[in-house]
Amino acid sequence: MGGKCPSRKVKKRRFSHKTARRDKFLLKGDDLVYDELQKSDTEKKPLPRDEDLPGMGQYYCLHCDRYFANATVRDEHFKTKRHKKRLKQMSGPAPHTQLDAELAAGMGMPDNGPALMSM
Amino acid sequence: MRLEKCWFCSSTVYPGHGIKFVRNDAKIFRFCRSKCHKNFKMKRNPCKVKWTKAYRRLHGKDMTQDSTFEFERKRNRPERYDRNLAENTLKAIKKIDKIRSDRASDHIKNRLKTGKVQRQKEARKQLELGIHLVKASLALAQDSSLCLPKIKVNVSQAQTEENQPMEE
Repeated sequence: MGGKCPSRKVKKRRFSHKTARRDKFLLKGDDLVYDELQKSDTEKKPLPRDEDLPGMGQYYCLHCDRYFANATVRDEHFKTKRHKKRLKQMSGPAPHTQLDAELAAGMGMPDNGPALMSM
Repeated sequence: MRLEKCWFCSSTVYPGHGIKFVRNDAKIFRFCRSKCHKNFKMKRNPCKVKWTKAYRRLHGKDMTQDSTFEFERKRNRPERYDRNLAENTLKAIKKIDKIRSDRASDHIKNRLKTGKVQRQKEARKQLELGIHLVKASLALAQDSSLCLPKIKVNVSQAQTEENQPMEE
């Protein structure tokens, strides 16, 4: 995964950086972001304070899953093309799920059997 | 053992094939081959990639609604093993599969028929546009300028008598 590290001083044979790989893995997927956006305002929890994140994790863009140092930086981000593209994408149809793939294959709705406990 | 469907192209993933990717939130993505896996990593939307089942269904290339689709379902509750049930199910699978594939190929054949549907559409549109040119059949009959006048020819008795000696 990944090419050679451009820094001449890096003498390790592993080419791509571990942190880059980890950060890519930790990013939220499109369908998760879409689900969060569909939630109503009452269900939204306040952002937890995290010292490792920029701006203590308080200034967050939901569409792009990014943290910012302060409110001005976040508001500047809202004007960028990338963010606007994400907004447009998230306002469109729901992203593809495993259920969609199964329905496209010609299966019916999944059978979960009769309800065990009536809540 | 379970035959899963590929997340990207919706084809069946048989045991020993493909890759299963488990994401951070414990969501599982199954791929039938590296082609689908690589397309997923590129973040391509299956609904926009022409060769996937999702695209074909969405754009009406394949059959979308049919009663045979209700037979194949994912069962999340285990069934107690019953030999008769298993035997009947296997027979039914074969039959239902044949019916479904026949209907699907008919659908594609009808879709690929050139000319007839297009001509019907064009004719319909032409009729809608030129409806003012068409006259009702009653009006046509009453209007003398549009149809030829009817001439009545009398067959007289004298003429028939003259023919008889010629026939002899």
